[in-house]
Amino acid sequence: MRIFKTLLSVLFLMLFLQCTKNKNTNYEIVETASYGDNLNKDKDKTNIEFHSILSTNLFQKPSSINELTRTDRVIQSCGDKTLINEVIISNYMNSNQVILPSRRRMIDSTERFVEETYIRFFIRRPTQAEKTWFINFINANASNPSFRPELVYTAFSASDEYMFY
Amino acid sequence: MKRREFVKKTAALTAGSLVIPYILPSGSLFAQTNAPLAEHVVYVLFGGGLRQQDSILQRYLADSQNFNVGGNILYNMLEGAPPTSKIAYGTTPAGQPDGIQPIPKILSQTLQKQGTIFAEMRAISGGHYGGLNSLITGSRVEGQGLKVRPINPTVFEYARRFGGFKATDTWFIGNTIGNSVPLLNSSKHPDFGLTYGGNFFAPNITFGSDGYAALSNAKIYHPQEELEPMYKMKNFLDNSFNIKKGDMPGIRNTDAERTQIKEFIANTFKNQASGQLPMPPVSGGDGTTIGYAAEVLKVFKPKLLVVNMSNIDGCHGNFTGYLQAMHRADHALGFLWNYIQSIPEMKDKTIMCFVPECGRNLKHNPIIDQNDWYGYDHGDANSLRVFGGMVGPNVQSNLMVGSESNPIGVVTDFNLTIAEILGYKSDVMDAGLIDGNAKSLFDRI
Repeated sequence: MRIFKTLLSVLFLMLFLQCTKNKNTNYEIVETASYGDNLNKDKDKTNIEFHSILSTNLFQKPSSINELTRTDRVIQSCGDKTLINEVIISNYMNSNQVILPSRRRMIDSTERFVEETYIRFFIRRPTQAEKTWFINFINANASNPSFRPELVYTAFSASDEYMFY
Repeated sequence: MKRREFVKKTAALTAGSLVIPYILPSGSLFAQTNAPLAEHVVYVLFGGGLRQQDSILQRYLADSQNFNVGGNILYNMLEGAPPTSKIAYGTTPAGQPDGIQPIPKILSQTLQKQGTIFAEMRAISGGHYGGLNSLITGSRVEGQGLKVRPINPTVFEYARRFGGFKATDTWFIGNTIGNSVPLLNSSKHPDFGLTYGGNFFAPNITFGSDGYAALSNAKIYHPQEELEPMYKMKNFLDNSFNIKKGDMPGIRNTDAERTQIKEFIANTFKNQASGQLPMPPVSGGDGTTIGYAAEVLKVFKPKLLVVNMSNIDGCHGNFTGYLQAMHRADHALGFLWNYIQSIPEMKDKTIMCFVPECGRNLKHNPIIDQNDWYGYDHGDANSLRVFGGMVGPNVQSNLMVGSESNPIGVVTDFNLTIAEILGYKSDVMDAGLIDGNAKSLFDRI
């Protein structure tokens, strides 16, 4: 019995000594999202990849496989791929399910709108030159009531860079 | 100024003033190397594989099904009386035997009477893609794989590079997106390629149920208020990306051309809904493709339009259907020629060329159809026997060149013929990428 008590004490002591709290090491590095640039985008998206990503960008939900297959056939049936993509994009823009930022947001928070649009479509931040050009362009068109985020989204969706990853 | 300097500057100025007016947007210095014979070319790939015996030789069932019944079922194209018995090549009115009703002749004068027929030519390939490739590129097709763009430049690239035409001046209307047909609007040749490719539609898809769902609800943006800023942004983005030439996924139209094509797409859906599209009286299949080609002609008045047909290829398993498809294709061709004459900008200024990509076998396969008639495949020596023709200004009328015993011409001649018609034949020859045996058909006469 005595031996048993001693063994139990030793086991308890070992268990207690093993349970040490992990020490968190903080190197004081600020966490930040990582975005690439456009230099390494050299693989073109297939028609199905393109429209799957596009519908996710515009509707915040993926298309059905039937819709993607149908769209793929339509793209193949036209010689100018960027043109037919533009028509398909404007077809999407006629849908009441497309999710777009408001014009007010584009005008009032232009810098943020430009950054978010680059990240949304190109998965990268704009360079300073790109940001400056877009801010100036949006400001220059602020008085044109037809100039809407829809047109900016269409330009990004129909751009060459959006066709590559 | 010193005399030597004066002479040098004067010579440079003179040379500059001579050369500068001829620099084309394409980069070519000289627009034309021969006087054009016509302003427009419509090139019909009359196809899917026509057996020489059943078509131009007008033997109907006599040389295929062991019935002694001859006759001409291509009577818009060729002179000759139609069959008088075993009629199965027409349409089928309700409750009547299959193909019993021939389609009335649509042309007042056959294409043979109006133009020149090459009665016995040689195809380059006994297969569809090889055959189409040889018709489009004017070259032999050794080493050409499926599912890749042609190795050698197409008729569109020659037209755009040497003729200085814009993208909407050249069109390829295909009947399918299968069989690599959508890849035939441009080659992958490094000196030509998509930069000079032609526009392409496969209307049964673009304007069929798939296209209707994906395209018909597209917004038409205001050209200045909406499209202009949109294209400015797109062009800025594209300039920042610098896509490599070899990576272009398709041909490129200018912003103005893109706007025009978008309007064309929207209007075509409207015209389709209101029954305003110019269709042959008996349409469906290849006839419908021809109808959309006519719509493209009406709107764009292109310098070069190529249209592909293929229903005739049903001959593999249905000889009756093959006869009907051939008869309908002839009807559609007659309609197209008539329609060209109804477009003021193209009337009397257009040469239409027609040729199949291949023929069909001498011997039948074992498949029989509803009339117990045997089907025919393609691939043997008889498949290389084809006929072709052309009609329009500067084409001799009522002329038959060659015969069964005297073959004249190869299908690759058509590329050089089109180059001669549009005025850049020597440029194409100098490029050195066409079949060494090819000649302009005008030189074969």
